[in-house]
Amino acid sequence: MAYVGALIVFAGLVILSSAISQFHKVLLFFEKRHAAFNNNRKIPENDKPEETPPSHKPKGFPTDLDEAACLYQPLIEELGEPFYLSDLYEIAKNNDFPHPHITLTAFREAEILAPYGDGVFGWNPHTENNNNEFD
Amino acid sequence: MDLLFQFLSNTGYYLADYRNVIMIVVGFLFLYLGTAKEYEPLLLVPIGFGILVGNIPFFKGFGLGIYENNSVLHYLYFGVTTGLYPSIIFLGLGAMTDFSSLLARPVLMLLGAAAQMGIFFTLLGALALGFLPKEAASIAIIGGADGPTSIFLTAKLAPHLIGPIAIAAYSYMALIPVIQPPIMRLLTNRKERLIRMAELRDVSKKERIIFPAVAVILCCFLAPASIPLLGTFFFGNFLKECGVTDRLAQTARTSIIDTATILLGLTVGASTQGDVFLTPKSVAIFFLGAVAFSIATASGVIFAKILNLFLKDKINPLLGAAGVSAVPGSAREVHMVGQSEDPENFLLMHAMACNSSGVIGSAICAGILWSFLVVL
Repeated sequence: MAYVGALIVFAGLVILSSAISQFHKVLLFFEKRHAAFNNNRKIPENDKPEETPPSHKPKGFPTDLDEAACLYQPLIEELGEPFYLSDLYEIAKNNDFPHPHITLTAFREAEILAPYGDGVFGWNPHTENNNNEFD
Repeated sequence: MDLLFQFLSNTGYYLADYRNVIMIVVGFLFLYLGTAKEYEPLLLVPIGFGILVGNIPFFKGFGLGIYENNSVLHYLYFGVTTGLYPSIIFLGLGAMTDFSSLLARPVLMLLGAAAQMGIFFTLLGALALGFLPKEAASIAIIGGADGPTSIFLTAKLAPHLIGPIAIAAYSYMALIPVIQPPIMRLLTNRKERLIRMAELRDVSKKERIIFPAVAVILCCFLAPASIPLLGTFFFGNFLKECGVTDRLAQTARTSIIDTATILLGLTVGASTQGDVFLTPKSVAIFFLGAVAFSIATASGVIFAKILNLFLKDKINPLLGAAGVSAVPGSAREVHMVGQSEDPENFLLMHAMACNSSGVIGSAICAGILWSFLVVL
């Protein structure tokens, strides 16, 4: 009885520790999937993005990241640095900026948005990579 | 005059025998340790006062004693004999526990598992000493160093031993600063005690929210008999972490756990009436409890040393001693022993990880032992 009991307890806690050691990986996976899903969903307004990609970029909104960064500059100043990405997203959305999610993703990839951790970011519009255009 | 003599013959002064006196001295000792020495005062003060209350001699049949039907104390004791108070205490405990350090370093959970070996070694010892299996299991659970768990299992398997087992469990928890450090020092060398733990990674809110929900499923599927303890424990933790029930979590970790602790302590203390408590069995239980607690501490430390043979990031073996579930006493003791060697070595958060896994481990042990023995 003692040996079986000890074995069960040990096995149980080993399973639990193995499970929790994978938590952050699983969450990261789902977060990436979620982000990818949102990206894919937000590019087109209709169901056929590949047929009409250019039409989803509103007139007057720049395709160049530098120019887009200039448009976002007043929002950053309003928020103050550092800021939460979610706040920037909200304020951009409230100001009717088109597709803020895509723009912010592009900013992140171009390191215009510098991550400080825990969802907090800084603004760094003069990086070497920020002359990329949106896809 | 007859009435006066009759009255006097019913007073505690007339009815007292030496066993009541011994227990009252023990009660005062608990109160002294709790108040003057501040050894686990939240436990020792209610228990100590309960011992005083329970050992005031009275005329049997008045419905006064804790073992007499319809007495107030008997009704309050109902929460002990049914396992109600331990469940409520676990709710509050869950609402207090932060699993971040455990989530950041899950391997520390194994130390919590290793420390439970004290329970099973003591089970063998108690059986060898002639205790019945249910009694032996109830005594062995003292090795988990978890008062509510010990009371819960004893209430289910050997209710006649609740008094001595609860007193032994809480006594050893209060005596952690006396029992654990020598064992830690004996089993480790200075170089091992100086090991610094790697920085813990940040744990996201989502991880902390998901953990109690997943853990309750994994643990209670394995040992369904631990549902009354782990169910409320993880529920309390979910209340704390989910972020939308702060008011409930706050109540669980303050008013609710305090109420249950007061009633549990007082009634467990009162259950130690000299005539039922002072028996050779109680002495054996105290002896086996000390053995269980010492083996549990040693098992954790030794297992940490074994783990170090395989790990790249070494674990400070002192942490093994925090695998018992005496929260937060043993974690604090590990931290202090570590700091006595290196004042800049901060082991507390890591020790709390082992401590919280010890709580889970001992509750699973209780569930397993209950399910093994309930059919006997």
